[in-house]
Amino acid sequence: MATVREKGYSHWDGRLEERRFPWWPITRTGILLAFRKKRFKFLFAGAFFPAIVALVGLYVSERLEDFKAFIQGSDRLLNIGPQYFAGYFLNDWLLFMILLVLAYGAGGLIADDLKHNSLQLYFSRPLSKKDYLVGKMSVVAFFVLIFTAVPGLILIIFKLIFAGSFKFFLQYPWLPLSVLGYSALLTAFFGFYILLMSALSKNSRYVFVLTFGTYIFSTVLYGILNGIFRTPYMALFSIPANIQQAKAFIFGLKLPHGFPAVWSFAVLTGICALSAFVLGRKTRSVEVIK
Amino acid sequence: MSAVIAATNLSKWYGNVLGLNDVTLELEEGITGLLGPNGAGKSTFMKLITGQLKPNIGTVTIRGRKVWNDPEIFRGIGFCTEQDVFYEDVTGWEFLKGLLRFYGYTPAEIAERAARALDIVGLTEDKDRLIRGYSRGMRQRIKFAQAVAHDPEILILDEPLSGLDPLGKRKLIRLIRDFKSQGRTVLVSSHVLPEIEALTSRIVLIHQGKILAQGDIPFIRELIEKHPHQISVRSSDPRALAARFVGDTSIQKMTFDPDGRTVVVETHQRDGFFGRLTGVVLEAGIEVDEISSPDDNLQSVFEYLVEK
Repeated sequence: MATVREKGYSHWDGRLEERRFPWWPITRTGILLAFRKKRFKFLFAGAFFPAIVALVGLYVSERLEDFKAFIQGSDRLLNIGPQYFAGYFLNDWLLFMILLVLAYGAGGLIADDLKHNSLQLYFSRPLSKKDYLVGKMSVVAFFVLIFTAVPGLILIIFKLIFAGSFKFFLQYPWLPLSVLGYSALLTAFFGFYILLMSALSKNSRYVFVLTFGTYIFSTVLYGILNGIFRTPYMALFSIPANIQQAKAFIFGLKLPHGFPAVWSFAVLTGICALSAFVLGRKTRSVEVIK
Repeated sequence: MSAVIAATNLSKWYGNVLGLNDVTLELEEGITGLLGPNGAGKSTFMKLITGQLKPNIGTVTIRGRKVWNDPEIFRGIGFCTEQDVFYEDVTGWEFLKGLLRFYGYTPAEIAERAARALDIVGLTEDKDRLIRGYSRGMRQRIKFAQAVAHDPEILILDEPLSGLDPLGKRKLIRLIRDFKSQGRTVLVSSHVLPEIEALTSRIVLIHQGKILAQGDIPFIRELIEKHPHQISVRSSDPRALAARFVGDTSIQKMTFDPDGRTVVVETHQRDGFFGRLTGVVLEAGIEVDEISSPDDNLQSVFEYLVEK
């Protein structure tokens, strides 16, 4: 006998949007939650300081006569070429601010989910683990690209506008690609690095300390090992040194450390691979018995 | 009727701890209660059928589709977890809207569904408060809201009533029953027997990772041959009534309650006893006040099965 029901299914007549980017809700939430943190907006704005300085430098470089009273022989610094753009990308302030913004704003991306058991909620939706990780990675990508690729390309455009000609572009036609390539490298590396750190603890404060600690410790270790062994290869232990080496290669500049750049790429790739492995393990749904 | 949820030879272990052991089970439409003490394997089972865990052995299917690694299947499933699973610094409204975005609805549809879900659980007035400030009952209700907001066909509720006050429990029980009355499938777990009894008579008893029994409570009770049925008869003259049954080989034991008005009969042939009882009562003119089966409830069935 058929079951007697008080009410049948209520079919939904609305329109279902095609889900081409199932990870987007994760990214959206991650970015919104970052901006909701105290002082984050201040940090975010502070990370644009190098871009503003670089922009002013571009302007002044095209108006050297107008500003000669101020620059007083420092016009050598305003010789705009690949070195100038590479200098923008690897000034200490920018890298420090990117790391600070990521550690503070994105450190809890996975840590908070682990803390709040949110993985259960996510993985009982139409969302795969890959979508989840892509969504989290996109949060990091948003913050890295907004401080690297976006200002980098805007600076090139402004250089052309200030110069009033395409001469600079014709002189260095590969420069936009270098900007994009280096930004992509930083995005990929910091994406994996930040998510790795975030997956190692449930406490975003520990993640913050871990992110900075590992970054700084790698440089300290390089200094110690270099002092003992006196070989440039010890720079491979330093995260910033490897980024510097990769950047120099991408911008076609003289390598700062005396070994082929491929080694630095290998180290950075290795860290990304380690991160991918850890993320695969840590973003499993919760185990009932631990 | 074809099974909505089917588990076949399902096993899950954690190191050398066995979470679930060779479970084969079919669940149909309506409410099914998954009952077992803490650590029995209820949550493991729930997480296996919601694709949160991968079985070591066996398969789980929902409407014939394998659950593991098939995120799209969750369009039709609502899962209410046992633990709190939300960011504390978002409002109930933001929480629901954020989760509804995974289903690809338009922004207007998301807002409408979130509003409807909040209305169902009675949290409309508190929708703009941070979850941090929600009471235990409100948290349970917002968890229920996220499970039903996308209008799923199947609802899986892991200990949904735990920590609620009696009024909150009653409200949630009513909501779950409403959901069932729409012809949907609900699987609800609990270690508290009255909670399950209030929701459904169709139960699955789980203990130490194994399914002990499945069916409605009287049916399961019938299966337990080791323990005879207890039938309590309160009457004006229990001794005269008992005397009429002396020599009845189907009766194992008769005892009198201290109140002096009740005789408790133990028999394997419950239906036969009731037939004879009617004749005896009419023949002897004994006035019967009450007939009950003290061990024909979930508590007794469960205790018999786990050999308490």
